[in-house]
Amino acid sequence: MSLLGIILTFTLVDNIVLSRLLGICPCVSAPSDMRGTAAAAAATSLLMSLSALAGWALQTFLLEPLGLGFLRTPVFVLCVACIAGFLDLLARRAAPRLLRAARVPLAGVVFNCAALGVVLIAARGGFSALESLAVGFAAGAGFFVVLSLLTAIRERLDVESVPEWLQGLPLHLISAGLLAFAFLAFDRAFLSRLLRGW
Amino acid sequence: MTRRPVFRDGVLRDNPVAVMLVGLCPAAAVTSRVIDAAWMSVGLFFVLLLTRLCQAILHALRAPDLSEPPAPGAPPQTSVFPLRPRWLGSLLLSSCFTAAFELILLAFAPSESASLGIYVPLLAVNCLVLERFQRSGPEDEPESPVRVIARSLREAAGLGAGFAICLVAISLVREILGSGTITLFAAGSFGGTIEVGGLSSVPVRALTYGGGGLLCLGYLAGFARLLGRRKRRSGATEAGRS
Repeated sequence: MSLLGIILTFTLVDNIVLSRLLGICPCVSAPSDMRGTAAAAAATSLLMSLSALAGWALQTFLLEPLGLGFLRTPVFVLCVACIAGFLDLLARRAAPRLLRAARVPLAGVVFNCAALGVVLIAARGGFSALESLAVGFAAGAGFFVVLSLLTAIRERLDVESVPEWLQGLPLHLISAGLLAFAFLAFDRAFLSRLLRGW
Repeated sequence: MTRRPVFRDGVLRDNPVAVMLVGLCPAAAVTSRVIDAAWMSVGLFFVLLLTRLCQAILHALRAPDLSEPPAPGAPPQTSVFPLRPRWLGSLLLSSCFTAAFELILLAFAPSESASLGIYVPLLAVNCLVLERFQRSGPEDEPESPVRVIARSLREAAGLGAGFAICLVAISLVREILGSGTITLFAAGSFGGTIEVGGLSSVPVRALTYGGGGLLCLGYLAGFARLLGRRKRRSGATEAGRS
């Protein structure tokens, strides 16, 4: 698959949130302003890209040569946690405003299944280094698209009258479900028709 | 000393999926078949119980704190690295037990292992999320190591049971309405699939997709909130009468 195909697949067709259902918790409880959403999505995208690349390196140079494939889960989990910790450390020094806007410490992204999920998808897909980086970047872009759409929907819903028992997270989950059905329009046939001209 | 019913709280009051709304990824992703939900629940129960057991044993055996107390008025010492060693330890424990469960699943149910895919390794993160709801013991009376271990195990069993009940309930709704079947463990002449008359010919296919899982989760969370409010209201009315 070409790099463009990978990016389109993991952004729209095989979206990490709506198709793989990973990272739902931050999507339905993210900050309700667009600036905070963009900051949270940018931080998560960066973590996903770096983690996918690091996961490829660990798989290729450590786990496969030494026959330690059964230790893949602990190695990947600790790798994602350490990258998230160091990114948080860097962001606190270099971009404290980004962290304040995101309202979630970057290290807290470890509690999000999406980052580990992307590493596992890239490792199981047998992608190269550049393709793994593209998978991480595209998954982050897909996360950003869904987070932005859900924030916009939430802003609209805030002014509508909704039954009390559905307000908040239940309604956000239902909105995400309906958005997932809308994203079913981006299927493999759509992608192949789109790429035929390239 | 008041002893809280930690097992019952994990199932009802602090239910991870319906009330706390954590661990939503597996609750939406692996609930299109009952058997997938059952294996996922078994996995979470296994990993959470063993992680809590190891933590409780380490907690009971920990060495006394010999470091000097901080001077009065001194600022609290904070680590430069944002992740605390306790979290990293929990992460390592839960990921190792998750890897063990992956191997067990691969050995005894390879088709289920392939069906669950990347969601089994993600149990490590889900268990870590549930770790955040770990309660401390009663403050008025120090607990013996055996009691600490027993309380941790009861709490983990309650959270695991609450998670399992929600997952199986969602998967029953999704599979019966979405496919018209109930897929269980195959045994002897029983193939493992029960067809629900009337629904298997005209299923609501949308419920088997990811979006259907999110819709079911949203309504489950809403109904759990509605029931909780009604219960609180009836409790307040009875208290007012008495």
